[in-house]
Amino acid sequence: MLLTIDISNTHTVLGLYRGTELVHDFRIESSKGRTADEMLVLLVSMFELRGVAPADVTASVLASVVPQLTDPMIAACEHAFGRAPMVVGPGTKTGMPILYETPREVGADRIVNALAAFERAKGGVIVVDFATATTFDCISPKGEYLGGVIVPGIRIGAEALFTRAALLSRVPIALPTKVIGTSTEQAMQSGIVLGYVGLVDGMVRRIKEELVFPCRVYATGSLASPVAEACARIDEVLPDLTLEGLRLLYERNKS
Amino acid sequence: MPRAAPNASTTTSVGGGVDEQPERQVLVVADVGNTHTVLGFFEGAVLIHQARIESARGRTEDELHMLLRRIVALTTRERLAVVGAAVGSVVPVLTEPTIKGMRAAFGVEPLRVESSMDVGMKVVYDDPRTLGVDRFANALAGYERAKGAVVIVDLGTATKFDCVAADGTFLGGAIAPGMRIAAEALASRAAKLAGVPLVRPKKVVGRTTETSMQAGILIGWAAMVDGMVERMRAELGPAMVIATGGLAPLVQRDAASIDLLVPELTLEGLRIAYQRSVGVR
Repeated sequence: MLLTIDISNTHTVLGLYRGTELVHDFRIESSKGRTADEMLVLLVSMFELRGVAPADVTASVLASVVPQLTDPMIAACEHAFGRAPMVVGPGTKTGMPILYETPREVGADRIVNALAAFERAKGGVIVVDFATATTFDCISPKGEYLGGVIVPGIRIGAEALFTRAALLSRVPIALPTKVIGTSTEQAMQSGIVLGYVGLVDGMVRRIKEELVFPCRVYATGSLASPVAEACARIDEVLPDLTLEGLRLLYERNKS
Repeated sequence: MPRAAPNASTTTSVGGGVDEQPERQVLVVADVGNTHTVLGFFEGAVLIHQARIESARGRTEDELHMLLRRIVALTTRERLAVVGAAVGSVVPVLTEPTIKGMRAAFGVEPLRVESSMDVGMKVVYDDPRTLGVDRFANALAGYERAKGAVVIVDLGTATKFDCVAADGTFLGGAIAPGMRIAAEALASRAAKLAGVPLVRPKKVVGRTTETSMQAGILIGWAAMVDGMVERMRAELGPAMVIATGGLAPLVQRDAASIDLLVPELTLEGLRIAYQRSVGVR
């Protein structure tokens, strides 16, 4: 089986593939201080809980946007599976031209998403990934990565609001029943969630106006719900897009 | 010590001007916000001077007394005779110190503006006491300007949307995170993303991390404003859209829904609340 590992700023998501089928997936906190030994315990224990022996993992592939967690995860994989993971980085063959002024700056997760999205859409596509940041990535009909947009994520924005505004207390991030709130709780729920729906739909509209080709719009990421479902301009929500991209990348680079 | 004004024994002259200049009688309003406290000086309905201080949570009334007196003397050459004062605060720990500081600095009893007061605007809110007074003031001034249904967008620490119906009834609104605090949160939480200057990039689709983030923040918040206004108008019917707040100029170009930018809207609302509650027409 192939283990795919996506280390993001908030969560680390792991997916186990048998062939092209995702058979297990689990997530752990991207706690910045985690050691290699801790990571090893977590990996092996999560496998055991699902009845998977570490020996069944024949290969692993990793993309990380958290530098301090990359080496501990590599070490944990080496120990658990007897071989180092393939690490997605500037040298990785993606088959996708990166039309970025500074290709090394593009987060590994964004390239991985772009790859999986283009494979699925077989044409122009925008990927919206909802996590600590919400990223919008644009791929041309020829499969070129064109760049994108980075917005503060819905949760960190809401947390900043709860912390910084003296009279505002915490509200759950859920779709409100109406846009014009008649209590401070309702007003915040409307502003945080419907405000973000407006932001995403408006961003997609403006991106499409600038790109001259038609494109599909996919959403992914741990915070996609409940915003993505409410966005009129998102065509599909694909929770496993990043893992899928890691699998594709591994297939293209394994020889 | 306060200098006694020769022609108005009940007022305190606080301006930095020379004695030969005629005194101008002013109302001072203080808008105590989460980031800044803005002081507005109105001669009648005209805002003739403004000053801004940090809303530092630990400030004492003595500090505020000194600061308020000196800031006026040092920021204007006019001789101002303070004839009234009003405070609207959304920072409870600063409300009393600001009222006492203004009383000491200007020699008048400040009116504490609250959303539950009756100044001729019907408020539909579950508990009007919990409506932030900045939103109440914005609604008062916004309706006065629009003379009809209005959506007010205040871009500051938070991004606030408030709706007033054609008949002048306050209907409620929405509160979203402010663009600057969200941008700061992103820079501090994402390991590879640093803070960027809030300058609009030329294109929406960025080809560097910096321009991608700038588009996300500036064009993203403009999109949020347009989207919320569209949803609110669907419930409210046709309405004018007035933007205010320190960050409003940054999104105005991209937010097509904004009809008018009025930076001093909150101050204006506090003035209207004061004048209506003391019976000045």
